[in-house]
Amino acid sequence: MKKRLLAVLTGVALGVGLVLAFTSPPDLLQGDFVRILYIHVPSAWLAFLAFGVTAAASIGWLFTRRMSWDRAAEASAEIGVLFTAIALATGMIWGKPVWGTYWDWGDARLATTAMMFFVYLGYLALRRTTVDPRLRARRSSVLGAVAVVQVPLVYFSVKLWRTLHQGLTIRPDGIQMDGAMVSALLVNLAAFTLLYATLLVYRTALARMEEAAAAERAPARSPVTVPRLGEAEA
Amino acid sequence: MNGGFWRSAGLIALRDLRVELRSGEALTVVFPFAVVASWIAPLATNASPLLLRDLAAPVYWLITLLFGMMIVLRQTALETRAQRRALALTGLDPAARFAGRAGASGLVLAAVAGTLIVPVIIFYDYRPPSGGALMAPVIILASAGLAMLGTLAGDVTIGLRARTSLAPLLMAPLAVPLLMGAAQSLESLVAGKSIITWVLVLVIADLGLAAAGVMSARALEEISL
Amino acid sequence: MHPVKGCACRGPTRFSGSAAIPIHSKRVSRPPSIRPSSSSPPLVDLVDLSVSLGGSPVLSNCRLTLRPGESLGVAGPNGAGKSTLLGVVATFIAPTGGSGTVLGAPLAGPRIPAVRAGIGWSGHLPALYPDLTLGENLALSARLTGHPASRGQLVLEQVGLGGAAGIRAERCSNGMLRRADLARLLIGSPRLVLLDEPDAGLDRDAAPIIDHLIATTTRRDGAVLCVSHDAAKLSGWVDRVVEMRDGRIT
Repeated sequence: MKKRLLAVLTGVALGVGLVLAFTSPPDLLQGDFVRILYIHVPSAWLAFLAFGVTAAASIGWLFTRRMSWDRAAEASAEIGVLFTAIALATGMIWGKPVWGTYWDWGDARLATTAMMFFVYLGYLALRRTTVDPRLRARRSSVLGAVAVVQVPLVYFSVKLWRTLHQGLTIRPDGIQMDGAMVSALLVNLAAFTLLYATLLVYRTALARMEEAAAAERAPARSPVTVPRLGEAEA
Repeated sequence: MNGGFWRSAGLIALRDLRVELRSGEALTVVFPFAVVASWIAPLATNASPLLLRDLAAPVYWLITLLFGMMIVLRQTALETRAQRRALALTGLDPAARFAGRAGASGLVLAAVAGTLIVPVIIFYDYRPPSGGALMAPVIILASAGLAMLGTLAGDVTIGLRARTSLAPLLMAPLAVPLLMGAAQSLESLVAGKSIITWVLVLVIADLGLAAAGVMSARALEEISL
Repeated sequence: MHPVKGCACRGPTRFSGSAAIPIHSKRVSRPPSIRPSSSSPPLVDLVDLSVSLGGSPVLSNCRLTLRPGESLGVAGPNGAGKSTLLGVVATFIAPTGGSGTVLGAPLAGPRIPAVRAGIGWSGHLPALYPDLTLGENLALSARLTGHPASRGQLVLEQVGLGGAAGIRAERCSNGMLRRADLARLLIGSPRLVLLDEPDAGLDRDAAPIIDHLIATTTRRDGAVLCVSHDAAKLSGWVDRVVEMRDGRIT
């Protein structure tokens, strides 16, 4: 019941966010292009939140060995990959008219986000290849914990790299924001966070059901029986 | 970490180096393969000398990463489950096992990476910058980091059929700080700047990986048995 | 081989000892004074232990107690869970249900790594590195357990492979590898010896190695757990044989 309520709340919040995204004023320089902000920024925020939760849950599993941690890590990683993809795609679509290029190598955040995308794509691939739930939890928790150590380092090294190169002059964060735009963005951030919570709750519930179903399907006794060669011939 | 730790790590490293020396795979198979791969860029760019000189450093690090992964992941695939089990029952500290294996892989990798400079100089008409000897510690630090990362990636994917493709996928994005540190050190050297900052990036990455390897050793051992 | 009737049997089918192997103590018959006493703490104690892999139960509610000086055989058909049971006792596989202790340490607990050095295990595949010689293989095991490298040569001689120390494992026959793998267990003096089909690939000359290993272990108050599909063979090696079927000890 609580799940249902959360879902309804999320739907309402997303609806309000969408209306605000279209009714907020256009940007002086960017015009209507700025509206992509209301998807891009919340998606990127969700991606970082989701991977942060995956890392925390992985470490939680390593310490407690409770399967619920592992399910949360998996669900969060899936959501994270989805929203990283959305953030990257909207970022590139936005970057072309505003920066003049799809990809800006000087932006540390972009490079770090892309790296996370590939690491967690690998994380999900690793999970797919392991059947036994406990073994799967062991493997992926180590990766989830190691990956998060590298994330700040990648961010740092790309940032360092940029300081040695020429920085871009026009950047979205350099533009002053209108009050209506800020409130539209905040509403969308809240709506996306609710969406994250909803997806997480439903996905972990699904994982629990999957495990229960797998346990039911599994043969209860040894699949090896005494050979019956005579019967087959007859 | 006491004397026993380093003694065990040394024994494991010695075992891996001995196996590598016997099979000679790194030097007789992977190295020639890497040399052939280094031809692709010249062949694809009509071999314009100026462009080639610019390409030399990135191609070098790309090849070092790709073939380094091959060497390291092969090293981690050497042990069978029975061998790992027998090793665990000697009371061997899994962190010492990690240190020994990564150490041996790092040495082999550093040797191969160092030797790879020769074909790059020949085929790309590359002129190493003055003070090129400073590249030695950079290559060693980068090799150590790649070796630790590869050992971790190999252990996480141990026993999986998809490991030959999965382990490189896990390893490559996480190798970014290492490659960046190594490549930018070389760039700084060419530009006549200090390489200290980038060496520091390598050192921090190596320390982070060493800590991750030691701390996850017990959990990874459970997977491997 | 036909599956066995579940019974604890002490058979007369002990292999006739062959003097071809220079094992120091040759044939050892256990003195009756070492009969396990129920007061000493068990080396292995499994209580309602279960293991499931990929959701399927492999071991269900296994109870097993091994006291100092005891040797136990577990017989059963293919897929009964014998090797898994051995893997659990060897601390390789963590139980998913129930509890147990090995050499006093709770299974999957933090003290397990500390007791591992007291366990000797030989699985159905030899744990030798093919690129290393037999001598190097055994020397590595010896040095990792704190013995001098020469101890490796000594145990190779004990199992009749003294002249084969310089041969790479990849060039050895299956029987030689099995002998060398059993030699590994002679390096230290493991309190708990675990054997999985120990005679697979061994010739008649080599059979006394198993007897020797079991006898010396039990004599110094260790314990032996041996699994095989062949109950008759098991009863020639160990004091007591139990049967296993469908992941249960019967």
